[in-house]
Amino acid sequence: MNNIQKKIWLLAVVVLLIMASIWMSLTYYNQKMQDQYNNILERYLVMNELTRTSQEMVTALNSYLLIPVAENLESIDSSKKQIQEMKTKVVDFKNAENELALTSYINLIDSLIETTDRSLVFHSEDGTESARKAQNEATYISNYISEMTLTLIDTELKTYDLFYRGIINQSEELNELGIWVLLLITFLLLLYTYWFSIRITKPVEQLTRAASELSKGRFDLKIEVDSKDEIAFLAKMFEHMRNNINSLILEIQQKAQLENELQQSKLLLKESQLRSLQSQINPHFLFNTLNTVSKKAYLEGSEETSDLLVSVAGLLRYNLKHLDKTMTLYHEVTVLQQYINIQKARFTDRLTFHKEIDESCLHIEIPGLTLQPIVENAMIYAVEPSEEGGVIWFRVKDEGDRVTVEVEDNGPGMPKEKIQQIIDEEQQHDTMAGHASGIGLSNVVKRLRLFNGVEDVIKIEAKVGKGTKVSIHILKKRGS
Amino acid sequence: MRKITVFVTAVICVVLFYFTFESAFDVYRASWQLPKESNQESQHNRLVLITQELDTPFWDKVSDGAKKQAEKEGVTLEVWGSYGNNQENFLEQIELAIYAKMDGIIVQGLDTDEFKELTKVKAASYGIPIITVANDVPSAESLRKTYIGSNQHLAGELIATQLIDDMGTTGEVILMLDSRREFYQEQRLKGIQDYLKDYSNIKLIEKTTEDTREQGIALTKDLLNRYPNVDAFIAVNSNFTADIIEEIERRSKVGPYHIYSFDDNRASLSLLKQGKLDGMIEQSPHKMGETSVMLMAEWLNNDTVPLDLDGYVTDIRMVKAIDVQ
Repeated sequence: MNNIQKKIWLLAVVVLLIMASIWMSLTYYNQKMQDQYNNILERYLVMNELTRTSQEMVTALNSYLLIPVAENLESIDSSKKQIQEMKTKVVDFKNAENELALTSYINLIDSLIETTDRSLVFHSEDGTESARKAQNEATYISNYISEMTLTLIDTELKTYDLFYRGIINQSEELNELGIWVLLLITFLLLLYTYWFSIRITKPVEQLTRAASELSKGRFDLKIEVDSKDEIAFLAKMFEHMRNNINSLILEIQQKAQLENELQQSKLLLKESQLRSLQSQINPHFLFNTLNTVSKKAYLEGSEETSDLLVSVAGLLRYNLKHLDKTMTLYHEVTVLQQYINIQKARFTDRLTFHKEIDESCLHIEIPGLTLQPIVENAMIYAVEPSEEGGVIWFRVKDEGDRVTVEVEDNGPGMPKEKIQQIIDEEQQHDTMAGHASGIGLSNVVKRLRLFNGVEDVIKIEAKVGKGTKVSIHILKKRGS
Repeated sequence: MRKITVFVTAVICVVLFYFTFESAFDVYRASWQLPKESNQESQHNRLVLITQELDTPFWDKVSDGAKKQAEKEGVTLEVWGSYGNNQENFLEQIELAIYAKMDGIIVQGLDTDEFKELTKVKAASYGIPIITVANDVPSAESLRKTYIGSNQHLAGELIATQLIDDMGTTGEVILMLDSRREFYQEQRLKGIQDYLKDYSNIKLIEKTTEDTREQGIALTKDLLNRYPNVDAFIAVNSNFTADIIEEIERRSKVGPYHIYSFDDNRASLSLLKQGKLDGMIEQSPHKMGETSVMLMAEWLNNDTVPLDLDGYVTDIRMVKAIDVQ
């Protein structure tokens, strides 16, 4: 778990460790140096003290020989003890350089003590002259000791010269090292702090930016945060939230669209029904009248008129009944045939109607009154205006996943603007009049699109002076 | 911009690291050196060589030989001494050596009462053996264990032999001694006298004066005045060699005079090379140093007890000016 607290702790511990190690090494070095200095100083002090004490002892001896009282003897003894003590210290001062001199020095001290003792012995045995002589000798030796002390200290100075220089050098080097270490640590700490703060603030910044984007309503940007700590967790949750919001919005949009489509199709239906109702006289009365007229014509031997009237009645019934229902292609084709029959009666030779129908496709479902407006359109533009009449081809083809219905004429060709209008589903008021069902092409296109669930439902190819071909596609499997 | 920043940061980092480590290594390297601990305990015998004439070629060789031998024997040896025949200082050194309880003292013999007192009474009472080197003092007077050095009597004879060869059997010969008439000088003198006593035509003139430069020159001046026909000089105390030659050069050429000396003076060899000195007795100072330390070590280890009281003679030979040139 790599969290922010841990990072801060790490920084503090590292800084603490560095500081502690520097402090400890400096203290250790200082202590070491101090010890060395003390050692050296002690050598000098002890040697000096020894010289002084030896002289004191000789003086005390002298006094004792002159005035033999216990007090003087005591002072000799105490000096002697001190000298012995210091001698043991001096023995430890031995090193390779002063070994010989120091041995001589120690022996001199021994000689001094021996001579002093001898003098005391002579004195106690009343050999005053010998005692005096020994005392003289002790004086010499004491002088030699002080000389030797000077020589030794001189040697020490020479011996420790390199050592002193070493110490001075090292402390200079240490100062330099201190400066460099300080610089380095400062720099590294700055670097680390920079990195550390970036690690914390950058994710926060990214998160802030993402939040502001979200608040502006852009839900499509992925939230990416380059981090592994708590911020990353926050970002993950944020991303999750964004995804949830996104999917919710999508859902709402889809629902809205569906509702919209439903509304539109309802409106269209209403419009169509309204139109058909407008032109509606009492249908039962009309059907009954037409049937009566048909039978009357049949009875009067006019069979052709009778058939025509049956067709008209069928067409009318179909138009009124099935406008808002889904029919099979078969029904549509049947009604279309009735319509053609009526038109044939009207145009006689001027109308030539060819049909090529793939029977296997007839079971497919199709919105009611889809084909009739298209053929009506061809009738109005290709057959009606022409003296010689026109030809209309009607084809139903199986094209794999869809069924294509083609209506082709050899009329003057539909103008380009008009084609565009139809495809854009604009109302064409001028053409409404000629249609039996009162339904325009644009209405057909709209209904087909809603029915199929795709935009690509109609194709109109027109060549000026040669004719127009309208193809509609019905999907075997509807989208939605 | 970012690249430049990274680059600069890296450079600073590298530089700082480099200098920090460099200076850390410096600190590590600059560690102080304490003098080496004494590894040899004082079971070694401590010997001291004391001479009156430190820093003369002759004594340098003696101490050199002694030091080398001391290393071989595994004893420690110190060379003490006085400069320029400072007797007082010299005697003090001996006294100091005795009080410092040296295991053995090798000393240039000095034929004075103080010296004898020191060696006979004090050294003996501290039980310190003394060996004289180069210059002898009679054993009976000093209680020295032995003497190592040239046979001075023989040296005198060699000089006399050479003198006869060079000068012939007639002539005046001046012998210059110092007023202390030390034992070794007496020996040399005796050697010369013994050899020349059969030649009645050779007249020996012995003169003594103080062993200083001024006195040497003054005496030479005086002698040249008093004995204008002198044929030869023998500097029995070799310290007079330079004085004699200097004074003669002031008056005439050195060539006609036969001048002889000994090698225990710093001027002798160079004068010999210049051809001003006709002959010189060359002793074996190196050998003296070596032998003295060796014998002392043997004595201390009880290998050779007792030492030969008459002494151990080292080689001498006559070096003539012609040989050197």
